[in-house]
Amino acid sequence: MNVTTAKVAVAFGGPSPEHDVSILTGLQAARELAEARRDVIGLYWTKTGEWFRVDASLEAADFLDGVPRGAQPLQLVTGAEGAGFVAGAGRLGRTRPLPVDVVVNCCHGGPGEDGTLQGALDLVGVAYTGPGVAGAALGMDKLAFAGVAQVAGLPVLPRVLLHKDGDGPGAGGRGGLGFAGPYIVKPRFGGSSIGVEVVADLDTARARLDANAHLRAGAVVEPYREDLFDLNVAARTWPEAQLSAIERPLRSTAAAEILGYADKYVGGEGMASAPRQLPAELAPTLVEAVRDAARAVLGLAGVRGVARIDFLSDGTSLFVNEVNTVPGSLARYLWVDPVLPFIDLLDGLIGEALGRPPAHYTASGADGTVLRSAGGIASKLA
Amino acid sequence: MILRGAVVAGCVVSMALAGPRWLRVAQREHYLVDATSRFALRWWTSSPVNVAGLAFAVAGLLLSSRWPACAFATAAVVAMGPIGLSWRGRTAPLAWTRRLRTLALVWSGIEIAAVVGGTAAGQGPVAAAAAALAVPALVDLACGVTAPIERWLARSHVSRAAARLRRVAPTVVAITGSFGKTSTKGYVAHLVGGARSVVASPASFNNRAGLARAVNEQLADGTEVFVAEMGTYGRGEIAELCSWIRPDVAVITAVGPVHLERFRSEDRVLEAKAEILQDAPCAVLVIDDDRLAALAETRAELGTRVWRVSAHDPSADVCVIEERGALTVYVRGVEMARHVSVDARPGNVAAAIAVALELGVPADEVGRRLATLPGAPHRLEQTLGASGVVVLDDTYNANPAGARAALAMLRRLGTDATRRVVVTPGMVELGPLQAEENSGFAAQVAEVATDLVVVGRTNRRTLLRGARQSSSGAGPPRIVVVRTRPEATVWVRDHLERGDVVLYENDLPDHYP
Repeated sequence: MNVTTAKVAVAFGGPSPEHDVSILTGLQAARELAEARRDVIGLYWTKTGEWFRVDASLEAADFLDGVPRGAQPLQLVTGAEGAGFVAGAGRLGRTRPLPVDVVVNCCHGGPGEDGTLQGALDLVGVAYTGPGVAGAALGMDKLAFAGVAQVAGLPVLPRVLLHKDGDGPGAGGRGGLGFAGPYIVKPRFGGSSIGVEVVADLDTARARLDANAHLRAGAVVEPYREDLFDLNVAARTWPEAQLSAIERPLRSTAAAEILGYADKYVGGEGMASAPRQLPAELAPTLVEAVRDAARAVLGLAGVRGVARIDFLSDGTSLFVNEVNTVPGSLARYLWVDPVLPFIDLLDGLIGEALGRPPAHYTASGADGTVLRSAGGIASKLA
Repeated sequence: MILRGAVVAGCVVSMALAGPRWLRVAQREHYLVDATSRFALRWWTSSPVNVAGLAFAVAGLLLSSRWPACAFATAAVVAMGPIGLSWRGRTAPLAWTRRLRTLALVWSGIEIAAVVGGTAAGQGPVAAAAAALAVPALVDLACGVTAPIERWLARSHVSRAAARLRRVAPTVVAITGSFGKTSTKGYVAHLVGGARSVVASPASFNNRAGLARAVNEQLADGTEVFVAEMGTYGRGEIAELCSWIRPDVAVITAVGPVHLERFRSEDRVLEAKAEILQDAPCAVLVIDDDRLAALAETRAELGTRVWRVSAHDPSADVCVIEERGALTVYVRGVEMARHVSVDARPGNVAAAIAVALELGVPADEVGRRLATLPGAPHRLEQTLGASGVVVLDDTYNANPAGARAALAMLRRLGTDATRRVVVTPGMVELGPLQAEENSGFAAQVAEVATDLVVVGRTNRRTLLRGARQSSSGAGPPRIVVVRTRPEATVWVRDHLERGDVVLYENDLPDHYP
C-alpha cells in the first residue's frame, strides 16, 4: 500500500462551532482526491457526534438539512477485533468494518482539533493526518501555547488568564495586568476567532466572562494594539519541513477592530476566498523573522501534517499569536511560492499518516516486577 | 363483459391520476385523518365548473348500476378534476417521502380491495366508480390506518431523542402559542445566544417527529439551552411532548382562533396550550390576553415562578411598549432599554426578554443584543421594490391580530402614498369564525387601502362582502379579483408606481382553491 493506493476517508463536521466550515474543507479535500482517482469516501461527523459514510462528490447544500440523503450510519468501534469504522453494527449481528487505511482529518475546532478524535483514532488503530493528541491539545490552548513559545524565547504579547474560579498571575490584584487597555479578550480554548472581543477595560472583560458563552471556560486577555496586523504562514512536515508564502489577510472594513469570523468564512469557499495580500509585501528582515519563528513553532508545538501559524506585526516587530493545527481549507491557498498543488499537499499528509504514526503506546517495562513485589492490596490500604 | 371490463379499467386509471393530487393535500395537511375529505368538499364546491363536474360524476355513479358505461363519466371527472388543484404546485410539490410512500401503498391497497371486492360481487363498474369518486375519503382512511404505524415508527426516534436530552441535559425553554411562537423562539435564541450555547428547533419541526429529529441532529454535547417550539393540533399533544422534553421554562405567546377546524373553540385551544405549563417550574405568559392573565394567577398560586409580560401594562414583570417603531423595555417597573429601533411585536419581545433574564443572562447583555433582533422572513417584512414601490411582506401571517397590525403599518407607511394596496387570499383554519373574521378584515382594509386584490376562491365571497359593507367615508376601495398569487404580482407591477405601498397579507398554499 502506498499514498496512491491507500483507502482514504475524509472526516469532517463534528460537534464544533466550526462544523459548517469543516464541511467545506472536507468536501474540497474529498473532491480533489476523487478527481485524482484515489479510493476515497467521506466520513461525516454530525453535530451530535454520529458518524455517517457519505459520497465524496457531495455539495455543501446537501448538508443544509443535516445528514445528506443516502448516508450510511457507522459506529466507531474500539476493541481487539473488528475495530474501526463499522457499518451496520447491531443490526442482525452483522458488522462490516469499513476498509480505511487513512483518515484525512478536516475537523476544525472542538473535539476534531483538540486531541479528542485523535485519541479515539489512536485507540482504534486507524492512521490519520494532522496533529497527534498532544500537538492538537496544545494548539487549542491559547494560554499554554503562548507559554511554550515564551519559554522558547519567541516573541509573544503578554497573555493573561481570566477565569471565574481565579485569574492567572498578573490579572487584577494590586498590580493590575501590567499593561494598559484596550484589551482583546479571547476564549482560552477554541480554534477560531469566534467569541473574540475588544474591550476598553478589565472590568468589562470580566463582565464578558458571563455574557459570552465562548469565554466561560476561561479567557485570555492581551493588549489590543490598533497598529498590529495579521501575518499567516502555512507549514507542512512531510516529506520534509516546508513553509508557504506569507499571507497578510485584509480586514473587510476599516471599522472592523479585529479579523472576524465573517471575514474568514462568509463568502463561499471558506478561507480561500477571503481578501488578502499574498505573498505579503514585507521588509526582508521581517520575512526572515517570520520564517525563523515558524520553523521554531513546528517542533515546539508538535506540528504534524499542515498547520497555519499566525503572527501579529506592526511592520517591524513580530509576535507569535497562535497555531491552527487543522487549518481552514487545509491552508491550501497559501502555497503560491513555492507552488504546491492541493493533491500534492494531500499526498504529503497521507504519506506522513502512513509513515509516521503519532502515538507510540508501549507496555515495555510493565514486566510484572511491581506486581510480584506488591503483596496484598489490603496491606497497601492500611 | 368487455364493456364492464373497460369501465373498471377506466375507473382504475382515473384513480391513478387523481391519487397524487389528493395525496399531496394529505401531506400538506400533516396527514390529519379528515383533512383530505374536507378539502375535497371545498374544492368541488369552489366554482360553478367544479360543482357541475361533481354533479356529473355523481350522476354517472348512480346510473352505472343500470348502464355500466355511465361510469366513464365519473372516471373522466375524477381523472381531470377539480379544476385548479394541480399535482405539483407552485408552493409545495409532492415530495415522495418514506411516509408518503407508505400512505400511497396503503391507499392503493384499499382501492384495489374495493374494486376486486365489487367485481367479485358482480358490481364491478359501480364499485369502481364509487371507489374512484371516493379517492379523498379513502386517502383519509389510509391516513387513519397508517397513523398507528407512524407512531410506532417514530417511537425509536423519540426514545433516542429522550436519551440525548438526558445526556446533554440542557435547560429547556418550550414555547407555544396560537401565533408569535416562531418569532419568539428566534428572539430567545438571539438574546440568550451570546451568553449561552443555544440550539433552537427549526420552524417546521414543532411536532413529535420534528422535535425528535431536531434533538437527534442538532443538540450537540455541551448545549446549554434548548429552545423548543411546540405546535398542537389537538388535546394531549403538548402534554406528550412535555413528557420527554420536560420544559424548565414554558412560554405561551397568545391564544387565538387558529386551527379552529380542529379545536372548535378557543377555550379548547387554551386548554391544549396550557398543557405546556403542567410540570414547568417557571412560566412566561403574555397577560395582554385575559385568559392568559387568569392562567398566570392560577399558576402562581400553584407555586410556579411566573413572569407576567405585556405590551401595555407597566405593572407586568416585563413590559415592552412600542412607540413609532421603537421599543422601550421596563423590567419590574424599571427602564431597561429605551427607544430601541427594531421591527418586532412588543409582546413577543417581552416574553423573550423574560426568558433571557430567567436564564441568568445579564440585563445589560440582553439590552445590548436587543438592537440586533432578527426579523422573521415574510413576517411583516418591509422592502423597497425596484420600481420604488414599498412592499410589506406579511405572507407568513395567518391570524386576525397579525393582519390588524399589518394594516396599521400600511396606514403609517402609506400616509402620503397615492395608492395603498392590500393583496390577500384571506385567512383560513378559523373554523366557525372564518367568514366573520375575513369579512371583518376586509372592512378594515376598506378603511385603510385604496385597492383590495382578492386572490383565489377560498374566501372570495366573504372578502368582497366585507369590503363593500365598509362604513368608511371614503367609499369602498377598488376591488380586483385574481385567481392566483402570481397573477396578483403581475397586477401590482402593472398598476403601482414609485411611492405606492402594497401589503401582501397571508399566502395560501396552492392546495387551497
